[in-house]
Amino acid sequence: MSRRAVIIAGGQCKWGVREAHLVDLFQEAAKACMDDIPQLKPKEIDGLIVATSYAGRCSFQVNTAPVIAERLGLKPTSICTRCDTLCAGGSTGIILARAMVEAGIADIVMVAGGEKLFTPQKWEVFYSELASVDHDWDGAHGMGLPPPFFALTAQEHMLHYGTKKEDLAAVAVVNYNYGAENPFAQMQKKLTLEEALAAPVVVPPLSLYDCCPITDGAAACIITTDEIAKRYTDRPLVYIRGSAQVCLNSVTANFPGVHLADWPHLRLAAEKAYREARVSPSDVDVAQTHDCFTISEIIEVEELGFCKKGEGGEFCRSGETKLTGKIPINTDGGLLSVGHPFGATGIRQGIEIMKQLQGRARHQVPQAEIGLTHNLSGANAEHTVLIYGREPVK
Amino acid sequence: MAVVGIPILENLYMTTMDMWPVEAKEFNRNYLFYEYLKEGRFTTTKCQNCGYVAYPPRIICPECYSDNLNYIDLPTRGRVIVFSEEVKGVPLGFEPPLIHAVVDLGVEPVRRLLTRIINCPAGYLKRGDEVELAVFDVPEIPIEKGKTGPVMVKRVFFAFTPVKS
Repeated sequence: MSRRAVIIAGGQCKWGVREAHLVDLFQEAAKACMDDIPQLKPKEIDGLIVATSYAGRCSFQVNTAPVIAERLGLKPTSICTRCDTLCAGGSTGIILARAMVEAGIADIVMVAGGEKLFTPQKWEVFYSELASVDHDWDGAHGMGLPPPFFALTAQEHMLHYGTKKEDLAAVAVVNYNYGAENPFAQMQKKLTLEEALAAPVVVPPLSLYDCCPITDGAAACIITTDEIAKRYTDRPLVYIRGSAQVCLNSVTANFPGVHLADWPHLRLAAEKAYREARVSPSDVDVAQTHDCFTISEIIEVEELGFCKKGEGGEFCRSGETKLTGKIPINTDGGLLSVGHPFGATGIRQGIEIMKQLQGRARHQVPQAEIGLTHNLSGANAEHTVLIYGREPVK
Repeated sequence: MAVVGIPILENLYMTTMDMWPVEAKEFNRNYLFYEYLKEGRFTTTKCQNCGYVAYPPRIICPECYSDNLNYIDLPTRGRVIVFSEEVKGVPLGFEPPLIHAVVDLGVEPVRRLLTRIINCPAGYLKRGDEVELAVFDVPEIPIEKGKTGPVMVKRVFFAFTPVKS
C-alpha cells in the first residue's frame, strides 16, 4: 500500500514581542509540539525541516537547521535542512516533509518554523525588510515594508469592485474576535467595527488593524505516514491531500494580474491543489488564509473560489467567514491577531486545521472534514495552498 | 557613531547593510543599466535571438536562454495608474512622504512599473498625472583595489517625478 502523509501533532509558543533568542523560541515551540503527542520521543524523529527567513539578518545565523536540531536534541538521519520562502516557509516545509515521507525517504519529520524579528534596535528589522523583496529593483524603492504595496492593492480592489473601508475593517473584527481567546496570540483582544474604523491610518486606505503586526515566535508540527502515526496516537488522522506552490514573478513590475487586485497565481495554486485533493471550493469546511492585510483575505476568498471575483468585501462584511457563515476562516485569529513570524505561520495554520479536523479546535467547526491553508509571500510573488482531509484521496 | 569592538559601527562599508544596489562593473554584469541611468536613459535588455524584452535587464533571455542580449531604451515618461502615500513610519533611509505609484510607461514590459515618486509633496499627486524619470546620486561605495586600497565608486538610482506643467 502506498505511503500517505498525515499531520499528527503540533504546537506553538507565545507569539508577540518576546524577551527571548531565536533558538529559545524554537525550543518552546518544539516542546509544545511534543507535549501534544507524549508517546512520540524526540529520538524517534528522523527528519528536521526548519523554516526561517530572517535568522541570517536578525540573529546573525545561517545554516540554521543543524543549530536548531542540536538545541532540540534531534539527531536527524534522513533530512536536516532549512527552507527560506519567507511567509510561506512553514507551508513549504510541510510540502517537503509530505513528499519525503510519502517517498519513503523519511519516516517522522518535524517541521519547525520561527523568527526573532525584534532586534535591540527596532529600525534594523524594517531596514532588513528591503531584502524580503527583490532588493535591487523593489527594495531600493523602499518597497520592503509591505503596507504601501498592499495599500495599492486595496486601492485597485476599491476602484475595480467598489470595495469599501468598512469591508476591510470587518475582516479585522472577525479575525481579532477569533483570536481574542487564543492565549498564544500577539493581539489578544476583542475589536469592534467602530474601533477598527477609528484607528490611525498607516498608508491610506490601510489603518492599524488592517495590518498584521511584526512578531517574534515559532511553531512546530510532526509529519509522518498514516501507518506510523497509529503507533503514537488514537486521534483522527489528518491527511495532506493536495498542495501547490506557484511563483510567476518576483519584481513587482512583472506582477501577473491585470491589476494588483487580480491574483492569477493564487487561482492557479488553488486549482492545482483542489485537483490533487479531488475536492472543490464548496467542499472546504474551514480555511486559514494569509490575512497579512485585511485586503489580502478579501481577495483570497475570491481567488480560492469561496465567492465570485469582486465580491470578497461583501462576503467578509456579511459574516460568511464567522463560525455561523458559509466558510469559517482564520478561526484561531489569523495573522492579524496571532501575529506573523514568517517561517512559523504556515505551521500554525496547519496545526489549526489539524485541530479542526480532529474536533479539538477552540472555535470548532462542527464535523469539519476538509480544511485548507494558504500563504502568499514576498511582494505577492508566490502563493502556496495545502488541502487537508479526514480521509485520504481514494 | 563609533562603537569600539563592532567594526560596522566604525564607518566600514557593509554590503549586507547597503540599501542600494552594488552597481559597479566588478560586481554586476548589468552595470550598463546604471551607466545609462547616469546619462538620463532608462533601459533594459532585448534578446537578439527571439526578440523578447525583459525588465529588469538580464544576462540570459528568460524565454529562449540566449545570452545574446543588448540594451534598448524604454520611455522615460508615463502616467500614474494608482499611488500610495506613506507619511509616518517610513523605513530608515527614506524621507516622508514616501510615495509609491504604479506607472504606465506605454510599452511592454513596463505598462505597470512600480516606482517611487520623488520631489512631490504629500497630497499633490493624482491618478493620471504625467511623471518622468528622475535620476539621483546615492552614496558612493569603497571597492578594494589591491595595493592602491579602496577606491570610491559613484552610484545613481532612479525614481519618477511629476512633470512640471
